[in-house]
Amino acid sequence: MTVTGKMGSVSRDMRERDVRVVILALVVAVATVATIGLFASLLQRTLVASASTFLAADRQLEAEHGRPIPAEWWQAAESRQLDTARMVEFSTMVFGNDRFQLVSVKAVDDGYPLRGDVEIQPGLAGERVTVGHGPARGEVWLNPRLLRLLSLDLGDTVEVGNLTLTVTNLLIREPDGGFSMAALAPRIMMHADDVPATGVVREGSRVEFVALFAGQEEQLEDYYRWLEPRLEPAHDWKSVKDGQALSRSLERAERFLNLGGSLAVLLAAVAVAVASREYALGQRDTVALLKTLGVTGHRIAAMYLKKLLLWGVAGCLAGLVIALPLVWALALALAAILERPVDLVFDAHALVPALLTVLVALFGFAYPPIRRLRGVAAMRVLRSDPGESSWKASGDIVIAGLAVFGLVWFYAGEPMMVLGLLGGAVVLLAVLSLVAWLLVLGLRRVAGGASAWRLALVALYRHRHSTLSQISVFAMTIMLAVTLVLVRSSLLDEWQGQLPADAPNHFLINIAPGDVEAVSGFWQERGYPLEDLYPMVRGRLTELNGQPVKEAVSKDERINALNRELNLTWMPAMPEDNRLVAGQWFGPGDTRGVSVESELAEKLGLKLGDRLGFTIGADTLTEPVTSIRTVQWDSMKPNFYMAFPPGSDLEAMPATWITSFYLPASGKNQLNDFAEQFPTVSVLEVDHIIERIRDIVSQVTQAIEAILALILAAALVVMAAVVSATLRDRQREGALLRTLGGEQRLLVRSTMLEFAVLGFIAGILGVVAAEFAVWALQQKLFDGGFRWHWNVVLPVPLASAVLLALFGRWQLGPVLSVSPMLLLRRLE
Amino acid sequence: MTDYQPHGVEAPQTSETSGILSVSGLTHRVGLDGESITILKDVTFRIDRGESVAIVGRSGSGKTTLLGLLAGLDTPSQGCIELDGQAISELGEDQRAQLRAQRVGFIFQSFQLLPALTALENVMLPLELAGQKGAGDKARELLERVGLGQRLRHTPRQLSGGEQQRVAIARAFASNPSVLFADEPTGNLDNRTGETVSDLLMALNREQGTTLVMVTHDEHLASRCQRRLAIEAGVVTEMGAES
Repeated sequence: MTVTGKMGSVSRDMRERDVRVVILALVVAVATVATIGLFASLLQRTLVASASTFLAADRQLEAEHGRPIPAEWWQAAESRQLDTARMVEFSTMVFGNDRFQLVSVKAVDDGYPLRGDVEIQPGLAGERVTVGHGPARGEVWLNPRLLRLLSLDLGDTVEVGNLTLTVTNLLIREPDGGFSMAALAPRIMMHADDVPATGVVREGSRVEFVALFAGQEEQLEDYYRWLEPRLEPAHDWKSVKDGQALSRSLERAERFLNLGGSLAVLLAAVAVAVASREYALGQRDTVALLKTLGVTGHRIAAMYLKKLLLWGVAGCLAGLVIALPLVWALALALAAILERPVDLVFDAHALVPALLTVLVALFGFAYPPIRRLRGVAAMRVLRSDPGESSWKASGDIVIAGLAVFGLVWFYAGEPMMVLGLLGGAVVLLAVLSLVAWLLVLGLRRVAGGASAWRLALVALYRHRHSTLSQISVFAMTIMLAVTLVLVRSSLLDEWQGQLPADAPNHFLINIAPGDVEAVSGFWQERGYPLEDLYPMVRGRLTELNGQPVKEAVSKDERINALNRELNLTWMPAMPEDNRLVAGQWFGPGDTRGVSVESELAEKLGLKLGDRLGFTIGADTLTEPVTSIRTVQWDSMKPNFYMAFPPGSDLEAMPATWITSFYLPASGKNQLNDFAEQFPTVSVLEVDHIIERIRDIVSQVTQAIEAILALILAAALVVMAAVVSATLRDRQREGALLRTLGGEQRLLVRSTMLEFAVLGFIAGILGVVAAEFAVWALQQKLFDGGFRWHWNVVLPVPLASAVLLALFGRWQLGPVLSVSPMLLLRRLE
Repeated sequence: MTDYQPHGVEAPQTSETSGILSVSGLTHRVGLDGESITILKDVTFRIDRGESVAIVGRSGSGKTTLLGLLAGLDTPSQGCIELDGQAISELGEDQRAQLRAQRVGFIFQSFQLLPALTALENVMLPLELAGQKGAGDKARELLERVGLGQRLRHTPRQLSGGEQQRVAIARAFASNPSVLFADEPTGNLDNRTGETVSDLLMALNREQGTTLVMVTHDEHLASRCQRRLAIEAGVVTEMGAES
């Protein structure tokens, strides 16, 4: 290898401490970002696979208005290696044991369910079992309530249209049961191939054809890209993310992971920026010498560019060497927590952010100071000139700011999140410059002397430039780490608050007005009081300000609420978890008006005073909008788009009542008594859904903890890197102090104090900045308010003081263990 | 050596009698705290090919500035410097770098060896930068010539000051420069080592027929040069030739 080749070789560069720090920062960045990327994609797949059981597939395509899904669409899905299953849903009367009953039929083919299981009971007294298929042809599975309503037994037959089917099992739970309360009629499940023979389903009849799809995410997305232009308003494409209760949890988890990734990027960038600036300053003599030897600025720039690229490659490779086994270990841990195997696929796409991080860290942060090396005056070999002016470095900050903004934006896909983070950083820097100025003013007055405190404070003043830059980097690092910890805590609190241990887990639907008191009494007696009971009238929203509503609203908006019957209610007081966003709740004696749920109001473009016309059976009802309110859809309580005041005309319409309540597993057997006593009341058991959500939340929590630990580790590496940036100077000073007769104890104490003061100030600044960053993030991303987290405001500065004091002690190690003369010679 | 012919620059004159360095009307000012200080005032002189010239003067008299300007490390505020027939004050930064690579060698007070490279590699560096073949052999030969044949693999940290300066001398002569600029070459060495180093420098200079321009405080070293230029308050005066 030639000398110039050797000069550019990574192994030779690694002899330089600053290069080691740059490469280490790159390694940490790649390892963290790649681990997060790979693990998040792994987690995503696992969660989606787990959550997919809510759809019985990865995606559902619903076609309303009785038109089957075109054959071409099925072929397109199959050609993309997607698994498919077919489902037909309709309501009809069934006849059994000389009685008729309106039922909601789900007819499924042999592929159903693509995800999850069906829970059945092969007899009233039998054990519940889960199976991975629907009924065979000629068979039908019945909801237990229907069995009682028709007084049937297993083995009996029922007639669905022209077809007679044998009841073989009780249908306890469908994987895609969901919480939808639209289907109030008891459910039966049969084979899809039997449907034509019933004669019930004809083109145009009220029937819903559903296609289920499962497969690789890329193929699903590819299919959707193909499908999207072909979809009509009657089609509804559903993914797990559209499910109300889970979607928010998953969305927030994703945001948190993205936030974590962004912070890792910022931390790495900080470390790379600090180390590369130090490196560039250290290279000025070499560059000047090369210039006197006749190397042109252009060639010097090319040489350093090549070095940077080599560091990038080395950092990437080493980062991946760390990340891959780490992800593997995390996957094993995840599998242990979930008690199921985790599909360990290394998604190459998940590595893109890691590679981009390296490129941006190198070119946004490391390159600007190194690029300026070409401008170093050759004259420097003869006479060392003062360091570069700070306005040149401020240009670096602008480039770095833009680079990091672009990268984090790309990575998190959330401009608001990026603005929140960078806003926090700007606030921090502004506060910092003020505090720094005060600090310098204050320290100038400290007289030197032999006490450890004085030595420490004088040292802080003497190194004020490095003191200030170290404080800013530490404060920034602390801000990022604290932000993440705070967001995580409030996220977890909110999740736990969302589903408390006694969250209602059973719904009673279809309670006749005359039964309300008896039903309430039944559960009261058994110690499970009902939550609020609401009347429910089914009606369609048909008019808006005298115009048919579908004409009045934009054609582009597909609003499901307009295509189906809504549950209308009247209530004296607004539910506690609702929040008014416009207008007033009904006053005592008000009998006119309607309160509308805010998202629907927004979609319909409703404002206060708009008149809404409802069609309820043969009647119509028109009321002005008097208030708009938000609704907690994931509260596991009955929720309503439309609420009327007590005494309104709605009370005259035929209503049934609905409620929800908490029934522990030990009270489950009461349901049989209840069903016998009140055969017409539907019991919707959502306890398993709540359990599933809790399961998923706990999985996500585990992931968040793991990633948080990684980022905190990264933050420590950054701090260590920054501390070691001044290693040489401090060691030289320490050696000089010892040469001049300074006692070891004094040296140790003053150095530790110096770093402790530095850490304390950085801690305070970081925590304050973090509070504001968290506030900004909560405001924009996680819907929370601002509050001081006193439990971190004090401990963090103290912890950072202790931590930095220890770093300082570590830095001093060689000064104490080696003779001053040897150390000075070594540092020359 | 002469494939170098930058745009708008005359080809070098090759006459043996011509001056290799000619300076006329050279003035150099620097700004300091908003004030302009004149370091060199209307300096004019000429150095012939193969001559050895010492620039002497007190600290702060402008010796090092003059050396830097002569070598094209910096550009003057006013006046003209011709090196081997080329007006270097009119060349761009990169063109001056190329000129240095082909015709100029340096020796510094603080040696300026690259700490990460061995003695051999430090000497090979200018040869490789100039794209010369057989850099290793030539560097080895030169290091043997300066008495460091046994220390080829040692890094600067493993060498004494005198040894480091000998490596620097080997490096300076490696590219067969037309002019060698030396800035206080014995300034960091004790008398005896300084003597050895200056012997070596003068001997090599004679052997290779190089023009030597040296800034020094060392009267004895200065007296070994053919001519002496004295600087006092930015003004250069000729002190006459000595043997």
